[in-house]
Amino acid sequence: MVQFSHLTKAYKKHKVVDDFSLTVDVPIFGFLGQNGAGKTTIMKMVVGLLRPSAGTILLDGAPSGSEASKRRMGYMPETPYFYEHMTGLEFVRFCDELDGSHGRNRTEHYEALLKRVGIYDARKDEVRTYSKGMRQRLGFAQALVNDPEYLFLDEPLDGLDPIGRREMKEVMRELKKEGRKIFLNTHILYDVEEVCDEVGVIHEGKLLYAGSVKAFCAGKPLEERFMEMVGAHTKRSS
Amino acid sequence: MRNIFIIAKNTLKLEIRDKILYGIIVFGLLYVLFELFLADLVLKELPMVKSFGLTGIYFFSAIIALFLGTTSFFKDVDRKVVYFILSKPVSRAQFLLGKFFGLCAVLLLTTAILAVAYLGLIAYEHGGFDGLGLLAICMQYFEMALFIAFALFVSTFSSSLLSIVYTSAVFFLGHIVSSLIEDAKAIGLTGVKFALVETLYYIFPNLEKFNVRDLAVHNVATPFVSFGLAFAYAAVYIIFLLAVAVGIFNKKEI
Repeated sequence: MVQFSHLTKAYKKHKVVDDFSLTVDVPIFGFLGQNGAGKTTIMKMVVGLLRPSAGTILLDGAPSGSEASKRRMGYMPETPYFYEHMTGLEFVRFCDELDGSHGRNRTEHYEALLKRVGIYDARKDEVRTYSKGMRQRLGFAQALVNDPEYLFLDEPLDGLDPIGRREMKEVMRELKKEGRKIFLNTHILYDVEEVCDEVGVIHEGKLLYAGSVKAFCAGKPLEERFMEMVGAHTKRSS
Repeated sequence: MRNIFIIAKNTLKLEIRDKILYGIIVFGLLYVLFELFLADLVLKELPMVKSFGLTGIYFFSAIIALFLGTTSFFKDVDRKVVYFILSKPVSRAQFLLGKFFGLCAVLLLTTAILAVAYLGLIAYEHGGFDGLGLLAICMQYFEMALFIAFALFVSTFSSSLLSIVYTSAVFFLGHIVSSLIEDAKAIGLTGVKFALVETLYYIFPNLEKFNVRDLAVHNVATPFVSFGLAFAYAAVYIIFLLAVAVGIFNKKEI
């Protein structure tokens, strides 16, 4: 279970995340919001890359950024950058060594992971030769390397072609069956509708809605409901 | 310690794959060979040969240290590769220290390549092992390690280009601070002006402590105490710089 309690992140006087409180305990949860809504900032605070200005995040009781919480999670940043002169296999191994909780040099495990995300054939190629989609897949693989209970994926389907998107969504469903919990940041409504059990709608750093996709839509298309909610909030705040 | 070692090992592996580094090493080797050849051809004097060789190694080690120190850490943070690393159970201090030791290992390797070329040529042309030259190279290595620590420290709060400017400036000042204070005393500088020179003397590292090339060139042995003091001076300075760098990096929003 992930608990956000009065989470705030401010840069000088500008609040990027504003008094965000939420408890999530579903297999796949999607943060939905426009660009700049605060989704990435929240995710970076969860994984310990940013420190909250106020509030707390607990991952099964462990504070965000602590070693205990990092050992239970995998993180894939938005538009991942890699060491260009490393091969895909070397990069996954490097990430696993940093985690260090599963012994050393699990080559079979790394190869199975790369097969799962569809870049096994390119495992011995340097990352600089990878396409954007292959980089996304490698980012996904490294997030899975420590067999995490929680996965935090920031725009994981960006840059993938339609087949790639379908494959990655299938992997997410398999991970759900394995009992892992996935947090997904996206601004692509169709993906949310397809894979998420619950969504959180974020706008200007505030949580506008959290709950099931079905209840959120209330019989209307997701896009229409999203526009209505964000539009109403914008009118109120202006 | 384990994470520091893994990051250091990875840094070493990646840097030795960098073509720019190869370019600098090749130029360094060509310089050492060319200068030795030229000095030997024209002057036929061992001190001149040694002087050219040791200066060449020093010059190219400084370029490599500047290149590594100002780009490696900054690139990882700027290109956000650090997101992968710091989302694992790795602290920022471990990351920074891993980078430092990795870069020092790269520098050790490149200095060793240049030193082998130098010692080999001295042995080939003059039939002896230049132990004092090797000691001078070791002292130079302490200086370069300090140089890398300073470049990393600057990289925690400035861009790569500014790091090059700041680190080069400190390199220059580090070599003149000791003569600067002597000159200030000699011309009878007092009051605020002398205090300013004195402040510079205490703030900037005195890099001349590591310069025993002239002694090595003229076959004068460096006292062991000087060697030990230079090592201790470098170690204390490096620990101080890295501690401040970790403090800044811990507060940095990435």
